[in-house]
Amino acid sequence: MMESSLTRSLVNRIVAPLRSAAGLLILGTIALAAAATIDKGPYILVNTIVTGGMWALMAMGLALVFGVMNIAHFAVGEVFMAGSLVAYYTITPFINYLTKNPSPMLAALGPLVAIFAAALGGCLIGVVSELIVFRPLRQRSREQWIMNTFLLTLGLSVVMINGHQLIFGTEFKGIVNYWNFPAISVLDTYVSFDRAFVFTFAISMMLLFWVFMKFTKTGQAIRAVAQDENGALMVGIDLNRIQTLTMALSCGLAALAGACLLFMFPSYPTVGLYPLYNAWFVVIVVGLGNVAGTVVGGFIVALFQIVTTTYVGEGYGFVVPALLIIAILIFKPSGIFGSPVRGVLER
Amino acid sequence: MNDRKDVSGIQKFLNQLDLTPLGALCLVVLAVLPFIPPFTKEYLRRWLIMAILLGSQSMAFDFTAGYIGIVNFGFCAFVGLGAYTSALLASKAGVSPWFGMFIAIPPAALLGFLTGVLTLRLRGIFAAVMAWFVGLALMGIATKWVKLTEGPLGLNTPALLKTTSNLPYFYIIFVMMLLIYIVLKKVVRSPFGLAFRAIGQNMEAARTSGINPTRYRIINFTLSCALAGWLGGFYAHYLGVLMPDVMSTSRTIEVLVIAYIGGRGSIWGGLLAAIPFFIGMELVRSSLSNLPGLNLILYGLFLIVIMIYYPGGVAKIYQTLVSRAKNPFIRRLVNRDV
Repeated sequence: MMESSLTRSLVNRIVAPLRSAAGLLILGTIALAAAATIDKGPYILVNTIVTGGMWALMAMGLALVFGVMNIAHFAVGEVFMAGSLVAYYTITPFINYLTKNPSPMLAALGPLVAIFAAALGGCLIGVVSELIVFRPLRQRSREQWIMNTFLLTLGLSVVMINGHQLIFGTEFKGIVNYWNFPAISVLDTYVSFDRAFVFTFAISMMLLFWVFMKFTKTGQAIRAVAQDENGALMVGIDLNRIQTLTMALSCGLAALAGACLLFMFPSYPTVGLYPLYNAWFVVIVVGLGNVAGTVVGGFIVALFQIVTTTYVGEGYGFVVPALLIIAILIFKPSGIFGSPVRGVLER
Repeated sequence: MNDRKDVSGIQKFLNQLDLTPLGALCLVVLAVLPFIPPFTKEYLRRWLIMAILLGSQSMAFDFTAGYIGIVNFGFCAFVGLGAYTSALLASKAGVSPWFGMFIAIPPAALLGFLTGVLTLRLRGIFAAVMAWFVGLALMGIATKWVKLTEGPLGLNTPALLKTTSNLPYFYIIFVMMLLIYIVLKKVVRSPFGLAFRAIGQNMEAARTSGINPTRYRIINFTLSCALAGWLGGFYAHYLGVLMPDVMSTSRTIEVLVIAYIGGRGSIWGGLLAAIPFFIGMELVRSSLSNLPGLNLILYGLFLIVIMIYYPGGVAKIYQTLVSRAKNPFIRRLVNRDV
C-alpha cells in the first residue's frame, strides 16, 4: 500500500513535469538531437552546444533588458556585430605581431584580450545608447513605451549596420581560429580548441551571471527593479544607475557572443541578423522576460537551426523554426516555461 | 463656424472624399508635377512614382501603427507576397497583370489575417516579432525556391503597359494612392475607426465599453496587409524584375520611418513626408555614392530623433501651425466639416 503510493508519487514527480509543454519540448529536443547525431554524426551536437551557449547568452541579455526596462531590444544583433568587429581589430595586430616573433604566452592570452575588449565595447554601446537614446525618451514620455523603444532600437540598428558599411566596408572581417592549439578529441570527434573554449566560456559566464544576479547587492537591486519599479524606488534604489547598468550588461553579453563566435561568423554589416533572430526566437520560446529559461532555450533553438540547415537546406534556417514559434504562440503564448512576471511588463 | 447653407457643391464632394481644400490643392499640384520642368526628366518621374508608392505603403502601415498601436514589422513581406503572387501568375500562368494586381490581395490579406489571429490577442510586441519572423521566412522561401521565383537573380515580370514612359505609371499609382487614402479615411471615420482609436489609446477602457480588441485589431491588420499586397502587385509590374529583397527588413524600416515622420494616426502624413524625403534620400544616395549607406544612416537618425523629440511628426506640426491658426482664410482652407 505504502509502497505503491510511494512509487506513484515518485512517478508523478518525474512524469508530471515532463507532460508539461516545457517537458515535452525538452524531451522532443533530446530525442531529435539523439536521432540527428546517430544519423549525421556528432558534429551536429558539437555545433549545437557551441552556438547554443552563445544564443543563450544573447537571449539572457535580451530577457534582462525586457524584464528590467521593458525594452524590446532589436539592436542586439548589431551589438553582436560590433563585438565581433572590436575583437577582429584587436586580434589582428596580435596575429601579425606573432607571425614575426612567436611567443606562446601572447598566443594564449591575445584572444582573451580581444574577447574582453569586445565585451567592454559592448558595455560602452549600452551605456551610450541608454544615455542618449532611452533616457531622453523616458524623461519625455512613457506612453506606448514598449513600441516606441522598439522603434528606437530599430533606428539604432539601422545606424549601426550602415555605419559599419560606411566606415569598415562590406568585406568579411574574420579569422580562422583564435588559438592554434591541437583539437581535442571527444567521443571520436575532434573538437577544435576554440569551440571547446567557447562552450566552457559560455557556461562559466552563465554561472557568473547567475551568481551576480542572485547574491550581489547590485544583482538583487536589478531584480527588484524588474519586479516593481516604484517599490525599488521607495527602498532607495537608484533607478538611473540600475537601468544604465542593465543596458550595459545586456549589450556586453551580446558583444561577448559576437567576439566568441568570430571564427564562425566573420564581421560584416548584416552579420547580426542571424544572431538577433535566434536570440529573439529563444526569448519567445521560453517566454518574454524569463531570464533563467533562456539557458535551456538557447540550446533548443540552436539544435533546431542546425538540424534544419542540415536536412532541409541552408536558406530554410528561418522557415522551419518559425513553425515552432507558431505552435508556441497558439498553444502557450507565455512561452514554454511561462513567464511569471508578465503583468509587470504590460505597461 | 460657418452656416451649413454655405457649403458649396465642391466642398461637399471634398468632404465625401475626406479631403480638405488644402489637401485637394496639394493633390492637384502633385497630379501636374510630372509636367513641371525638373520633373519632366524620366528619372525624376521614376522617383516620384517610387515616392508615391512608398507614401501609399506608409499610409497602409500607419493605419495599423497609428490607430491600434501595432507595428507590422514584416510589412514589406506582405508587399512582397502580393508582388510575387501577381508576378508569378502573370509570368507562369499568363494572367493579365491588371487582373493579377487584384488577385495579389487575397494571399496577402489571408497571411495578414493568420498572423493577426495568432498574435493580436497578445501584447503588441508579439505581433511585431511574429510579423518579422513571417517576413524573414517568406524572404527565405523567395530566395531559396529558385525553381519558382528565380531567387536572387530576379524574376522577370511582364509590365503593366507596353510603353517605356513613366507617365502612365505615375497616374496609375496616383489613382491607387488616392483610393487607398479614401478607403482608409472612410474606415477611420466609421465606427470601426472609433473602435481602433479607442483600442490604441486605452485597451482597458475600450474593452470596458464593449469592444472586442482582438477582433478589431485583426480587421485592421488584415485590411492593412491587403492594401500592402495590392501595392506589391503594382510594384512587380512596374519594375519588371522582382527580387527577394523587396521583403527585406530594411524596406520595412523605410516605410516605417516615413510613416513616423509623417505622424502616426494621421494617414496622410506619411504621403506628405514620403515625396520630399524620398527624393532627398535619392539625391543623397546618387550624389554621395562613394559613401554607401549614408542615406540609411540618415533614416535611422531621423527615426531616433523623431521618436524622442517630435513624436507627432509632420501631422503635429501641421496641426499646431495650420489647423489651429487664427487667420480665417487658413481656417476656411483647412476645415473639413464646415
